[in-house]
Parts: sequence; C-alpha cells; structure tokens
Amino acid sequence: MTLQEILSVRPSPGQPRAYDFPLFERTVLPSGMQVITVNVPDRPLVSANLLICRGAGEEPADVAGATILTARAMTEGTERYPGVELLEAGERLGATLHVDASWDAFTASVEVAASRLGAALELLAELVERPTFPESDVARLREERLNDLLQVKADPRRRVDQAFNATIYTSDSPYGRSAGGDEETVPRLTPDILRAVHRTVLDPVRTAIVIGGDLAGLDVPRMVESALGSFGDGAAAATGAPAGFPPAPRTDSAVDRPIVRFYHRPGSVQTELRIGHVGLPRRVPDFHAVQVMAAILGGLFNSRLQMNLREDKGYTYGIGAGFDMRRGAGPFSVRTAVQTPATVPSISESLAELKRMRETSVTPAELAAARDYLVGVFPLRFETPGAVVAALGGLFVHELPDDELARYRREVEAVTIDAIQKAAQDHIHPDRIAIVAVGDADVVGAELAAAGFGELEVITDEMPGAADEAGEIGEADE
Amino acid sequence: MTVPAVRFTDERLANGLRLIISEDHLAPVVAVCIWYNVGSKNEVPGKTGFAHLFEHVMFQGSSHVAKTEHMALIQAAGGTLNGTTFFDRTNYFETVPSHQLELALWLEADRMGTLLDALNQENLDNQRDVVKNEKRSSYDNRPYGDWFHKLQEHVFPPEHPYHHPVIGSMEDLDAASLEDVAGFFRTYYAPNNAVLAIVGDVESRQARAWVERYFGEIPANPAIPKLGDMTLPPVLGAEARETVQERVPLPRHFFGFRAPVIADPRYDALEVAAQILAGGKGSRLYRRLVREERIAQDVAFFALGLIGGASLVAGQATVRPGVDPAVVERAFEEELEKIGREPVTDDELARARALIETYELEALQRVDERADRLAMYATLLDDPEMINRQLGRYLAVTAADIQAAAAEVLRPENRAVLTYMPALEATAGTTDEETAA
Repeated sequence: MTLQEILSVRPSPGQPRAYDFPLFERTVLPSGMQVITVNVPDRPLVSANLLICRGAGEEPADVAGATILTARAMTEGTERYPGVELLEAGERLGATLHVDASWDAFTASVEVAASRLGAALELLAELVERPTFPESDVARLREERLNDLLQVKADPRRRVDQAFNATIYTSDSPYGRSAGGDEETVPRLTPDILRAVHRTVLDPVRTAIVIGGDLAGLDVPRMVESALGSFGDGAAAATGAPAGFPPAPRTDSAVDRPIVRFYHRPGSVQTELRIGHVGLPRRVPDFHAVQVMAAILGGLFNSRLQMNLREDKGYTYGIGAGFDMRRGAGPFSVRTAVQTPATVPSISESLAELKRMRETSVTPAELAAARDYLVGVFPLRFETPGAVVAALGGLFVHELPDDELARYRREVEAVTIDAIQKAAQDHIHPDRIAIVAVGDADVVGAELAAAGFGELEVITDEMPGAADEAGEIGEADE
Repeated sequence: MTVPAVRFTDERLANGLRLIISEDHLAPVVAVCIWYNVGSKNEVPGKTGFAHLFEHVMFQGSSHVAKTEHMALIQAAGGTLNGTTFFDRTNYFETVPSHQLELALWLEADRMGTLLDALNQENLDNQRDVVKNEKRSSYDNRPYGDWFHKLQEHVFPPEHPYHHPVIGSMEDLDAASLEDVAGFFRTYYAPNNAVLAIVGDVESRQARAWVERYFGEIPANPAIPKLGDMTLPPVLGAEARETVQERVPLPRHFFGFRAPVIADPRYDALEVAAQILAGGKGSRLYRRLVREERIAQDVAFFALGLIGGASLVAGQATVRPGVDPAVVERAFEEELEKIGREPVTDDELARARALIETYELEALQRVDERADRLAMYATLLDDPEMINRQLGRYLAVTAADIQAAAAEVLRPENRAVLTYMPALEATAGTTDEETAA
C-alpha cells in the first residue's frame, strides 16, 4: 500500500478500559474535623490538603485582604519555629508547605513521600494552629501587597480583570473587590486583625483534611488525630460566629444594561477584553448542561469563539469564555486580547456569539464534541493523587454529595441540545452585559463610540512609573 | 524514597524514525510525544520566528485531516494536546485515553507524511496573524515583556543561533512565504529527524505495529543540513549592561550568565545552586533581599539547559519603591559571589537534595512528562536512559561542585545585567522563551 492509501483510513477507537473515580473514605474526628482518604496504589508521593471553609468571601469590606494576608503571614513563624525555620524543617523532609486562601476556603497543603507523612502533618498542624504573626513581618507583607497592586496597574491583563470585577458587582459584594485587598484596606491589616481572622479559621466543623496517594499500611485517621486532634479547641466558637458553613456572599449585579468601560493606555498594541456579567455559583441544578454549553462557546480548542476570532479572523492568539463558579455567583466572562485595530470587530463578534448561543440550538456534532471531550478527558484529569485530592476538596468546600464525581460522566452524557439552549438562555445575558477593556483609546475610541455597544465611559488609566505629563495621567503612589 | 525506574524500548524504523515505548498500566491513559530536531537555532537571518510559525501550520490540516481537525479529533477522543517551539527543538504531544492511541499516531503520521497536500496561502496568512498576536500578548504588551530576548542578545553573540528570539520579528513573520513553509517541511520534518515517544497504558507490540503501519512509508530525508559549529567561549569576557526605560512601576534587574551545556556535571551543580539561591523562602536570595534587608519585592534564579555551545543561567530581582536599584544589584551579586567563594552548608545541600528528589518524583508521575523527557534526552543527547540517571546526578552534586561551578559561571566578566527603569515613554518591546501553539 502507498502512504496515501494507508493514511486514507481513519482508525476507530479500541475498547475503553473501565474507569471509576477512586473510592474515598471519610472519618470524622471527635472535634468534628473530617478526614478524607483516598488510596491510589503505586503513587509513593502523597498529597495532603487541609481545607477550612472560611474564605475571603466572608470578610467585611473594610478589611478586604485580611484572609489572604493571614494565610501568607502564617509561614512567617510559629511558636516553636520562628521565621522560616518551619519551612526549612519541611524542606528536610523534601516537602514544601503551602498556605493560601481563596474566595471560598483557607488551604494548607503538602506533598511528601508516604514514609514521611506523619512528620509532615505535625509541621502542617504547627503552621496552621500556632502562627505568631510577627509585627515586622506582617508590615513587610502589607508593603509587598501594596507593591503588587502597583504591578497590577502596569499589567493590562491583571488590570482588566480587576476593573471587570469592580464593574459587574455592586460595592457590597466581596467579589467586586481584589481578594488580596486594595490600597485603602491593606494598610489597616494589623497583626491583631490577622489573629482575629486566624481564630475564626480554627473551626474544626468547617475543616477537612484530604489525603491521597499510596496509603498502604498507614493509619491515616490516627496520624491526623495525633497531629491535629486539638485543632481549634474552641477558638472559633469563642469568636461568637455562627456554627457550620457560612452563607454564600452577596453577589448583586451592578449592571442593568449594556455598558462599555474603556481604560485608556496610550501605545497599547493590543486591547485586553473582558465581556460578561455576574455568573453562577458552583451549586446549580443544571451544572453539567452549563459545562457543556461553556465548552462549546469558549472552552474547547475549537470553540465557537476560537473558530471565529482566531482561526477565521486571526484577531487573537486565543479567546475563551466560561463561568468562574464559587460558593457565591462568580463572574461569567469572555476573555481575550486582540490586536488594537480589531477591537471593535472583536467585541461585535463576541457579542454575536453570545447571542447565537442563546438563540439557536447547537448542532448534534457540537454537542458530541463537547460531551465526548468532557467525558473522555475525565480519567486524564485524575492521573495523579494531587488532582484527586484537589477534586475531593472541592466537594467539601461546595457541600456537594459524595457521588458528585462518580456520576459526573453519566450526567454529562445525559445533557441534551435543549438543555444547552436553556442553560444559555438562563445564564447568558447580553441585555445587561459589561464590556471592559484596557487599550489605546486614541486609536479605537471613535470607532467604539460609533459602534453603540452600550453606554461608553473612557477612563484614562493611572500609569505607574509615568510622570504626570499633561495632568491627566496619575502618579503611582510610591 | 526511591524514584521508580522508567523502563522503555528504544529502536529505529527503516526510515530512521526513532521509537521509544514505555509501558505503565497504572492509569488508562497514554502520552504520545514527537520531538523534531529543529528549532529556532536552525533559522537563518531574515527568517526568524519561522520554526514557531511552522509549528502553527502543523495544526492547519494535512491530506486526510482538515484545518483544526487535529484538535477536534483529539479533544473529542478525550485527549489534550499542544506543540511548542524552542531553541533546540519543536515538539508535538497528545495525551489520550489508552483506547485512542491509534488515532493519535495516525494524526501525527498524516501531518509528518502529507502536510503539504493541505498547505494554502489563506491558512498561512491566518496563522501569521495569530502568531503576531501571540507575540503581542506574550511579549510586546507585557511589562518587562522583552527581558528574555534582551538577555539572549547579551549572552549569545550576534552570529550565534541562540542570539535571536524564538518568536521572531514582525518583519520576518511578514516575509514568510508558502515556499518557505514547504522547504522547511521537506528539509526538517522527516522521520529520520524525529523521535516518537509513547508512554502509558499501551501494549508495546501493538503500538509498534501501528507506528510501522502509519509512519513506516514516510520517506527519510538523506540530506538534513548540519548546523555549523555552535561552540562558544565559556564566558562573555566582559560584563554587559543595558538599561531599559519602560512604563513599569518598579525597577527590575535581570541577570544572565553563559553556562555549560546540559549533561555537563557543572550544569547539574548550577541547578542545585539555583535551588539554594532562590528556591523558596529559606533560600539565600529570598532570605536576604526580601525578608531581611527588604530591598526587593521578589527574587528568582534558574538555569535553562541548552546544547548548542552554552546554556543560560538567569536571575531577577524587583526593586522595592524608594530603594536605590544599585543597592539591590549589589546585594544580589554579593550572594552569587559568595556561593562561589564558600561552600554551601550541609543543611542547605540536604534540603536542596530532598526537594529536588520530590520534584523529580512529582514530575515523573505523569505519562506526558515521561514521554517528553524520553524524547528530549534522545533528541538532544542521544541518551534516553538519562531519564533514570538525572536524579542521581543531582544528588551526587557536592558542596565543592557547587562552589566550583558558581565561581566559574557566576562571575562579573560572564554577566549581563539588564535593568528596567520606570519611564515616561514606553519602549517598543520584543520577546521571550518558550512559545506554545
């Protein structure tokens, strides 16, 4: 056979090997803390994630950034290990200890050889339970955050995200703020405020530790009880906060009609674009239909947006769209950077795709492509214990049922064309959409004004590092 | 802790295609990775950026695959994919559920065997626009975005193939023609210029049969041009300095050094040195510049392994507001001088070794990483077994090795210092390192 003849026959797939999401076990310690273990044979590196359902979404506006700063400051020293001594002790085990916070949760995590898991858990417990929040280190971390805010202003893609979130949410929604705090709130974050946050974090009823890897021969619940059995010890209860998981934060939309906010940065060779509105929380009844719909719109490599704006028009290196699902309704957005002269057509095409998603049914081929991808890629996503542990942590934080992952593929397979269209109509709202951009208004301003996408506001952005040339460019607060 | 050995077979088809297969049935997934022995170092003046632009064209269809259908078929099979271009290579990879392996092999064979049947001006023009937007979003429209390109220019002399950026220049991208694409394909995209690695839930005999079937008839190119001598003097000879005025809020220094090639034990020593200098909060640079003296916002230090005459070792430090950038530069350089003057402590070395062991174990868990490394070591060093020796090489590095390598490499006459200063007018930026499709 010639090469052409051989290649002219497309292979068909073989018989899929059975796959089930790994089984996990749950133990509840006397304190109320959950221990979730998942044995993944022949994976000698173990992942342990301690999750506390106490995220930045719960903090009051006047101390925005306190939760994340508390997490950062926890690696600055503990009662037994001043400074970075605890991190160094972890390094001797070959383990890097991380503490971080998101909108939804506080996390402390470590990856370590199974044989050293007990020692690593002792360090993790010390880190989480007994940080000292030294005044001078907290001051340094505050300054680092303020410096980082300067860097945000210089980086168009970070700047546009910040502006987009601030645009779509009302001022009493935490999601409109920067999770790390801003120039106004960060200077307020004293060690005492961080200690108060820390006390609310020490709440075993809101806490789970998820541990995965080759756990053969290890009594993990006993190891956790030994390291973290006294976690909290009433500290959180003493704060007077209501017991149990917190309510989702307020997520009201600040936008009730199409609007355009264009942040002018002279000389930009591209326009960073975010188009969207308040989206959805993780716990929605039509979660799987939304996932398939978002994949078709802007998730797959060959999504409608990619095929149009990248592969047909060449306006961008990449464009995506999706829902950032949190305990509360996170943003829905179309995200891209386009060459400056293509700004207006890129907005038009994106809006047209949103409209098309609502108004016309997807084709059976589109449904199959998205469904088969999401179903087929599922085992690839969970090749390593770290990924399995992260997914199980998500179930805990979002209060999802234990079989959520086990039935994921069945649910996706059951999604219909009608369900996708209904999801688009229910959750994509061009009539109250915000178009937020960072780019060169001198080049595109007139065309943008003429396009009539919505009420247009052009803001001359503060340009850090630039001197105050014509009185319209603000100075960086150095 | 022991890192399990990666067992594999290593053979060549009659047309020269090097085939490496490694079975691992833990998860029902398989990784396919092809490395072509061509990268930006094979480009000639006036044609910069071509290897990478070509990588994009590889997703625009072949005889039996339509434009972007490669992505569609792999994703519909539940797979992930991409391609990347760098100085020394261009690679393409898919990870798929194991029952879809044949599809991935067929797709790679169809474009290796028949790409030119589908090549047209419209697709080339479209991907040229996409790549120009990649250049804008990855480099030109980013603060400090062209730092790596500037370090390349200082560390490698103008006549050296590592001197110019992988992404190329806008002018050269504009000049790329269909004839260039066809010529590049015929020259470099031949089976005898490629390594195919298959790792995961696969039966070797079946995989080998499929590879023979789909790739076996693709003709070799007996005349792949050899690169000229890329040897370089071991050091720059004199410190190179450049100050860039840009619209950035904080000054930032970048440091570049010419270093030994990968597989040289001194390169391994520099990797361990990088961990001790800037790997985490207990590292020397972080501790002194960020935690204690509080003159820097952040620090970094890393080695980038290459084979053509020299590797590149690079560092960076962002200057805190109100601090004299010269003070930060001095402190950074003092730490580099110190590690070449005195041995690191036993504890520093023990911590670095333990962390490197974990990082290696973490990386080698995944089939895609194993496939990539096997293909890399086969392509660059003709030694895929290096996948099982690399960790041992790191662990064998002594304090004396670190001191000697640092003294030789991290010295002023081998240093390029690039400083970005906040300025009124932005300068036109250029580029960086690795670019994905």
